This record gives sequence, C-alpha cells and structure tokens, in this order.
Amino acid sequence: MPQFFSNKRLILLLVGVIFLVALISFSLRDRQNASLPEQIIKDTVGFVQSIVAKPASYITGFVNNVDDLLNTYDENKRLKSRLEEFGTLQAKVNELKVENDKLKDLVGKKDDLRNFNPIQANVIARNPDQWEEKLILNEGSMSGVKVNMAVLTSKGLIGKIVQTTPYTSQVELLSTNNSNYRVSAVVANKKSEAFGLVEGFEPKRGELILKRIDSSLPVKKGDKVTTSGLGGIFPKGVLIGEITKVSTDDYGLTKLAYVKPAADFSMLDHVVIANRQSITIDGSDGNNTNKAITGTGAQK
Amino acid sequence: MARFLIPFVAVVLFFLETEFSLYSPIKWHGHLYYLVPRFLIIYLIFLSIYYDRKRAMWYGLVFGVLYDIFYIDIIGLYTFLYPFICFIAGYTVKYIHQHLAISTILSLVLVALLEIVLHQFFLLISFTSVPFTEFLNQRLIPTMIANCIYLIMLGWTFKYLIEARLLKNTSRLTL
Repeated sequence: MPQFFSNKRLILLLVGVIFLVALISFSLRDRQNASLPEQIIKDTVGFVQSIVAKPASYITGFVNNVDDLLNTYDENKRLKSRLEEFGTLQAKVNELKVENDKLKDLVGKKDDLRNFNPIQANVIARNPDQWEEKLILNEGSMSGVKVNMAVLTSKGLIGKIVQTTPYTSQVELLSTNNSNYRVSAVVANKKSEAFGLVEGFEPKRGELILKRIDSSLPVKKGDKVTTSGLGGIFPKGVLIGEITKVSTDDYGLTKLAYVKPAADFSMLDHVVIANRQSITIDGSDGNNTNKAITGTGAQK
Repeated sequence: MARFLIPFVAVVLFFLETEFSLYSPIKWHGHLYYLVPRFLIIYLIFLSIYYDRKRAMWYGLVFGVLYDIFYIDIIGLYTFLYPFICFIAGYTVKYIHQHLAISTILSLVLVALLEIVLHQFFLLISFTSVPFTEFLNQRLIPTMIANCIYLIMLGWTFKYLIEARLLKNTSRLTL
C-alpha cells in the first residue's frame, strides 16, 4: 500500500499516539520520584507560581478578614462564654506540663513523638482539574521537607507530602481517593485509647473513614481523633477530626468510624510541615524502606 | 507588542487557573461542587478559531506538557488533549460561521468534551471511582456554568486581542 505509507501525517500521528501511550504508562509507573528535567520544570514553574500566588493569597486573606469581621459579634459572645472555662483549663495544662516534664526527667526520656520542628510553607497551587486532591507548596527538599511528612494548618492535619523537588513539594490531602493512603490515628477519650487507621474518604458525607479500631474498645460519637505518631514519621497528637458515626466494618471484626475533619480542605493558604524531632522511620508501606531517615537518635 | 501579547496572555491564564482552583470545591446546601477553571484551553480554542490552528496546537502542546509535569505527574495526558482540542476547534470552524456566539458555544462543548475524556481516563486507571451521574452533577455542570460566566466576560476580549494581532500581521504584509 504505497499510498497509505506516503501519507506522512498519518504515520506521524500513529508514532505520536504510540509515543504518548508509552509516556503515559512510563510516568504512571513511578510518580513518587521526579526525574531531573521534571524537577527543573517543576521548580521553574513553581517559582513563577509563587510570585503569582502572592496577590491571590492577599485576596484570600482579605476575603477571610471580611468574613471574620462579619462574624465578630457572634464569635465574641461565644468566646466570652468560654473564656472563664479557658482560664482554669490553662492553669491545669501548665500544671500537667510541668509535672510531665518532671516525670520525664525522672525516667530519663528525652524523645517525644509530639515534638516537631515546624517548616512554614505557602500553598502556591492546587491541581486545577481536581481529580486528585493535591496541593503544591513553596518549600522543598532544600528546606528539609521529605516525603511522607505531615502537613497541618492551625486547625488540624490536612495531608502528607508525596513528592519533593528542591524548591517545591506536593501534598496529597486527606480527602484523597487513593487507597494506599493511610494515616495511623488514635481515638482518645477519658478512659482509653483506641488505635486505628484513617483510610479513605467518603465524598458524599465529606468525612474521613477511620478503620481497624479494636471492637472491644469504647469509641463513641464526639470523640476526638488525633495522629498516633506510630506510623513512623508523623508527630503525635495532631488533631484530625471528630467522630460523627460509629459502625462495624464489612467483616464485623473491627469497628469503623466516620471522622469529620477538623481542618478545612479548601481555601488553604499557609500550612505547616511537621518535621518530627525524634527518630523518623520510613514505614514499611508501599515502596518505603522501613529505615530511619533522620540520624538524630542513638539507634539507626 | 501584540506579538508577545498572545503568548503572554496564555502564560498568565496558565498561572491564574490554579489560583482560581484554590477556591474550589464550594460547599453549597451540604453538597460539594467542584469548579474546574479551564481558562487556558478556552483561550487556545479561540486562538485556533480566529488566529492560526497550527500555532494554537503548538501552544497547546507546550502548556500541556507543563500542566502534566507540574500538576498531574502523568506526562502525555494534557500533552495530547490540549492540541487535540485545538485541532478539533480549528477543523470545525472551517465548516461553520465564525460568529462570536458560535465560537462561544463551540468552546463550551469542547471543554465539556475535555472534562468527560479526563473523567473516563481517570476511571480507567482507577484514580477515581466517581460514577458518571455524580460527575455530571458535582463537576461538569458547575464547571460549565463557571466557565460560561468567564467566557461571557472575556470572550470578546480574546477576539479583540487576536484580531488586533491579525490586523498588524496583514498590515505588515501589505506594506
């Protein structure tokens, strides 16, 4: 068929399609690590993006301020009623903190899963097509950001780092659809602690699903869910949300709870990346190595 | 001046898209609605209708690659879709009248097409489990409304801008 092959355009198209399919499957396989050209492009685009993001975040801040102003009266009333409560609570917290420090000194425990060095970062972009819940931050591996670190706002946990380049990093939000995305969490009420894993997001309810809770432990509506710090790299005690409904899982062996996230996933502006002070372990999940990443501790 | 204005506008729109998406999803009556800004592709569709199909496709390719690398991490998705949409736009316009209203409708249809193709692709690689009806209500319709407002606001500006560029071209040719 000489006529068919003389059609240069058609061949070009075919080669193009094959090339694209190869490219798609190639880049799908390894999305965690960016190759060098990708990193350069990401950093360049990220640099420009962070300039563009400045006026945008100013506008967001302004909108939030106006919103705050409008709610001032209601908020003031509510806050006043809680102020007295807060005073006594503060005194109690201080007392407990001092006591805790003393006891820690006594047993010689220095590392605490709760302590972390905050890395302040600005959100410069969000995946515009929103099929994946991803944010891009303006801090990268040059400022010590590593994959799997927790990302939080003042209200609570929002996600974790999934990819870093020297000057940008990518956050996958808790509200993701990714089934490989787990966060080790703990439900603490006055009597006991119940451990579980935050796995998955229910888009209809707009809530997270906390799975694998021991069914013998009491977990009820209204309990606060925080990170447990046992996943290896997250700090302990970061608020995730509040339980709204408890049921059993598909097999009836463990409990399952719906958690209303404490942080808001839209209109994000400033976030904090938590760099845990005690030894961090890379976990055994997925491609991770299960080795200590930071060499601060005695064991390695 | 006008020579650089067209790529410059494309770059600005590329960066603006993501800033607008920071405000999405919107919670309204207890439901989440996703508004996907598609400023750039609408601009490129206008380029391929009023200016030059080939050039629009090249822009589509470059911005598609940037989009893929920076946001999606799957290289080849937008890299293919952007030029493809431009191609369809440029191809269709040969057979229909280049009226502003028609090109507006055409670009909205193409944006809807883009969204549907993307949804099907992400379903295929199981990045999402959103069924089509939910996708229609949660994403497609709000997105189309938002982009429609945007187009009504800026469509004539694009046309004006591109025509200014074309006038300059023709005047240079005649001189």
